[in-house]
Amino acid sequence: MHGMTSYFIRRMLLIPVTFVCITFMVYGIMRLAPGGPIEQARTQLLMAMQEGGGSLATSATGELDLPQEAIDQLKVYYKLHRSIPVGYLIWLGVWPDDDRQGEFKGVVQGDFGMSYRYSEPVLTTIVSKFPISITFGLIGYLATWIVCIPLGVKKALTHRSWFDTTSSLVVFLGYSIPGFVACLALLLMFGTSLVWDIFPLGGFRSENWNEMWEAGNFWWCVKDQAHHMVIPIIGYVMSGFATMTILMKNSLLDNLGADYVRTAFAKGLSERRVIFLHALRNSMIPLCVSIGHAIGLLFAGSFLIEKTCNIPGMGLLGFNSLVERDYPVLMGILVFGVLIRLLGNILSDVILALVDPRVRFE
Amino acid sequence: MATTEASGRKKLLEVEDLRTYFDVEGRTAKAVDGVDFFMYENEVLGLVGESGSGKSVTALSIMRLIPNPPGWVERGAVRFRGKDLMRLTYDEMREIRGKDISMIFQEPMTALNPVFSIGFQLTEALQHHKAMSKRQACERAIEMLELVGIPDAARRLWSYPHEFSGGMRQRVMIAMALSLTPHLLIADEPTTALDVTIQAQILELMLDLKQKTGDTAILLITHDLAVVAETCERVAVMYGGKIQEVAPVEQLFSRPGHPYTRGLLTSLPRPDRERQARLQTIPGIVPSILDFPAGCKFWTRCPVKEKVCETVEPELVEVEPSHWCRCHLVQPTATPGGRSK
Repeated sequence: MHGMTSYFIRRMLLIPVTFVCITFMVYGIMRLAPGGPIEQARTQLLMAMQEGGGSLATSATGELDLPQEAIDQLKVYYKLHRSIPVGYLIWLGVWPDDDRQGEFKGVVQGDFGMSYRYSEPVLTTIVSKFPISITFGLIGYLATWIVCIPLGVKKALTHRSWFDTTSSLVVFLGYSIPGFVACLALLLMFGTSLVWDIFPLGGFRSENWNEMWEAGNFWWCVKDQAHHMVIPIIGYVMSGFATMTILMKNSLLDNLGADYVRTAFAKGLSERRVIFLHALRNSMIPLCVSIGHAIGLLFAGSFLIEKTCNIPGMGLLGFNSLVERDYPVLMGILVFGVLIRLLGNILSDVILALVDPRVRFE
Repeated sequence: MATTEASGRKKLLEVEDLRTYFDVEGRTAKAVDGVDFFMYENEVLGLVGESGSGKSVTALSIMRLIPNPPGWVERGAVRFRGKDLMRLTYDEMREIRGKDISMIFQEPMTALNPVFSIGFQLTEALQHHKAMSKRQACERAIEMLELVGIPDAARRLWSYPHEFSGGMRQRVMIAMALSLTPHLLIADEPTTALDVTIQAQILELMLDLKQKTGDTAILLITHDLAVVAETCERVAVMYGGKIQEVAPVEQLFSRPGHPYTRGLLTSLPRPDRERQARLQTIPGIVPSILDFPAGCKFWTRCPVKEKVCETVEPELVEVEPSHWCRCHLVQPTATPGGRSK
């Protein structure tokens, strides 16, 4: 067990290194990418000026531009006035920030800065989206398991039968339709009067949800929540549906042909025990390992599904922040995303070591 | 049919005209195509043949463990203690497996489930067949592990298969197979995957346990005539899905009847003889299972074949007492008390 412990300690020690590499790269790319906040502000101002017909600033070349000092002020406001490495280190919190009397204020201190767009602390913005994305991610993931595991098992047991072939058709149809497209189609069909108007057209909850909650209409709230979640959850399930079903089927099929299954039958065990205890226990190993990797998805949410169904979760926040170049929020989401994914990978290894006695990390 | 021979020994198992076919891409492969043999109680019978001769399929057919699809038992009877196993219901057969007939396999590395401790795998059959409590089953399992020579058995009970060497795993398999003192143990190439030094130990262990545990008969499937010579009382030689020759070991080695058996014997290295220029081999290769010839299965490789061999399949004939042979050129010697079987 000592080998295992030191293995996981070494894995944990690698997290900060990976973390710094990823965040520095993204920070650098973001700073270098065109269309940043300065350029956006400049464009907006220039458009306003042209409309007003003013001629406040004309550069030497005769083109319209902002005065240099205004640009400098904007840069300071957006904290873009330092070089990329220094700017990164300040963001990280290991370099004194001159604007705050040389204090160290950054990620390490738990300060993610202020959102450009919402003018509130990044942490507040992100944390407020957590419950929404995790609710959808978790329920979606559970639903995927509940659908895919029995289906995969059934397909393996009836390999090449009529049921197997037909369901394969459905699986590959599901594989070729992205989850958000399915959501879009379902919203059109069942969120409007096109086919049958039974589901709301997107949104996380009804607008009066909070009032009803405070009024104590518990069951109404639960029903309303579930009502809003059906279509997005179908989208989530479709995203992992094909992969997980086929993984389950092939894994079980492999194990059913294994020698130890023949041994178990030769012992006189019942078919049910051989399949659902001996073979299934082995074929669940690859699926259990995927749990760790799925954690990242649970957190991040699917921004396409959130966008399509208008769910104000982490995915939608990330999408909007990207479009509007809200760098501090983007970096904040990145911090959580990277950390959770790195921890998820280690979690996968822990799960593997727990479910497969042969695995010993050294 | 009488189950007691003139010699007074009771027959434990009688296989009659067993045919097991497989569907191979639309064609029918007759892996076992009319196998007849019997086993006495408490005897060790060797079933010998090259790979592809149908030995393992015969064993799996007796256990009714032929994977379907692609395989099925086309016809035949397997009488075990008077009952035809082929006519039992699935659940009746399940009661016999593991309890009355148990089996050990060639690959000890993969024959045990990697994610369960050997204790779990040893006790589950005991609990199922004998309705033992967990504690009783564990005690029996430890007893069996000690019997097969696993040191520190009580502690090793909860170890996983990967923590054992190949030889140790085969010992575990033997412990598992014999824990319910079956009437018949089918050992399908139990030593083939092991080191030579371990092979002898495992064979010795099987015979030793047979003595200790009582009346277990062993059907030892092997391609190794040396193994047969060391362990078996009688030997059945298989080729092309049929039994070609059956005889007590000494008789088979001293007076082999079938040209195939003679080929097998001359292709054994004989360090006691003068070193020949090269080892004798049987010419040619075993035909594809889909393309066995009409007539005698062996004529394509037979050094002494005649015209009749190509078209007429010979019968299994008793050529001398308790020595049967399937060959046109081998006729009963002495008094033909030989009945065709």
